[in-house]
Amino acid sequence: MKRLAPLLLVAAILLAWEAIARSGLWNPLIFPSLEKISRELVLFFTRPESLLEAWISLQRAFAGFALATLVGVTIGMLMGRSAWIAALLDPLFSGTYAVPKLALFPIFIFVFGIGSLSKVALVFLECLYPIVIVTSQGARGVSRVLLWSAANMGASRAAALRRVVVPAAAPFIFAGLRIALPIALIVVIITEMVSSADGLGYLVIYSLSSLRTDRMLAVVVVIAALGWLLDRALVALRDRLVYWEKLETYYL
Amino acid sequence: MALAKAGLLALVLLAWQLASLLWGLPDYILSPLAILRHFFAALGSQELYTDIGASLGRALPGFVIGSALGVALGLAAGVSRIFDGAFSPVVFLTYPVPKIVLLPLFMLWFGIGDLSKVLIIALACFYPVFINAYYGARSTQKILVWAALNMGAGPGRIFRGIVLPGALPQIFAGLRVSLALSFIVMFAAEMINARSGLGHMIRIAENSLRFDLMYVSLASIAILGYAGDRLLALVREKTLAWQERPA
Repeated sequence: MKRLAPLLLVAAILLAWEAIARSGLWNPLIFPSLEKISRELVLFFTRPESLLEAWISLQRAFAGFALATLVGVTIGMLMGRSAWIAALLDPLFSGTYAVPKLALFPIFIFVFGIGSLSKVALVFLECLYPIVIVTSQGARGVSRVLLWSAANMGASRAAALRRVVVPAAAPFIFAGLRIALPIALIVVIITEMVSSADGLGYLVIYSLSSLRTDRMLAVVVVIAALGWLLDRALVALRDRLVYWEKLETYYL
Repeated sequence: MALAKAGLLALVLLAWQLASLLWGLPDYILSPLAILRHFFAALGSQELYTDIGASLGRALPGFVIGSALGVALGLAAGVSRIFDGAFSPVVFLTYPVPKIVLLPLFMLWFGIGDLSKVLIIALACFYPVFINAYYGARSTQKILVWAALNMGAGPGRIFRGIVLPGALPQIFAGLRVSLALSFIVMFAAEMINARSGLGHMIRIAENSLRFDLMYVSLASIAILGYAGDRLLALVREKTLAWQERPA
């Protein structure tokens, strides 16, 4: 029943949508029928061009996300385990945390060019914050008793880091990644909507300005499904790697 | 101590300024002092305030509507099984979906004016607040509820006296995320389609190669984002004065 409830609601929304679309009260441009949207959806998956756009968006999101993971986990670990690095970097991160990094995008365009690089750079920057902050929390919170017993049994600093700190911080690292992954997709779509000639965000804006709202909605459905699938994939990876700690709440 | 904390930032700014003096930077990277000069010059003109007003006029109503709904529904879902079944699955299912893609759809439905932007900001702000309020209410300690029941408190009393205070720290954590989000979505919506606001200003500046205006817009949004976050932290401190400070 618990698993069925969301499906029921989705079905109800779809039914309501179709009822509105067929009622004739609104212009079909504003409420395209499900039939039209699903036809465009099929077209999306059969056309190599549109699949290529999706691939381009995914590549940008992944490149920025992977880079942010690499750099963010490293910085977060260092901040969590070294007091002076934390004292050095903490004001920088907490001071600029609330500043919308998106505003840097026009400058990034001039610095990195209008292609993929400026978008990847912005994805990297936006994803870096949650990963660094949550990872450093996790690395700081490692139980001292565990570290002492590792040292007592003759573990070197490197061994203690690998065998104690990293596993203890792993749930936090994944919590940070889970916050960052949707952000990566959001930033890619926004930057493609603002200035691009390719990618899914561009496809949305292009379909809208050519008044193909059915096609636009099909792309919106694809983006939504991508966001959901990426999150599921990350959770599956987390459950395999951090098998000793169950994901209790959805959020953390 | 404060100086030492700001040390890295000061060092970066100094190196930046020196680099522009010694080697000269490309046109699109202004030196910190030049940004400061342009910013103060813009503070004397009317246009900046119009744009800031337009931006805040979108971000704040969106933040307030989305957060209020998020707190109300999140708490309701946290305490009542019926609301939990009705809302939580949908919210958790749609949580990782990037909400900004709905902006074109909202523009079709609600026009290209401010309404569609306010609504998309409200939608984006709803999620973090809902989820935090939900888990805040769910983490209420049973023993406190039992004690209150034992002393004859009604459901309303228990909600006001135990569930709400217990959930407040989490609710504030959600509000902090959603406030930052409201500025991001506002800026994105204005860059995509608007006739006023800071996001519009930076687009115009970009297209006409007015780098000074680009940095003025950037500085304004940075200051607004920072000030909003500090203000919320202040409200949090006042509201949660009874709570021990987190380490």
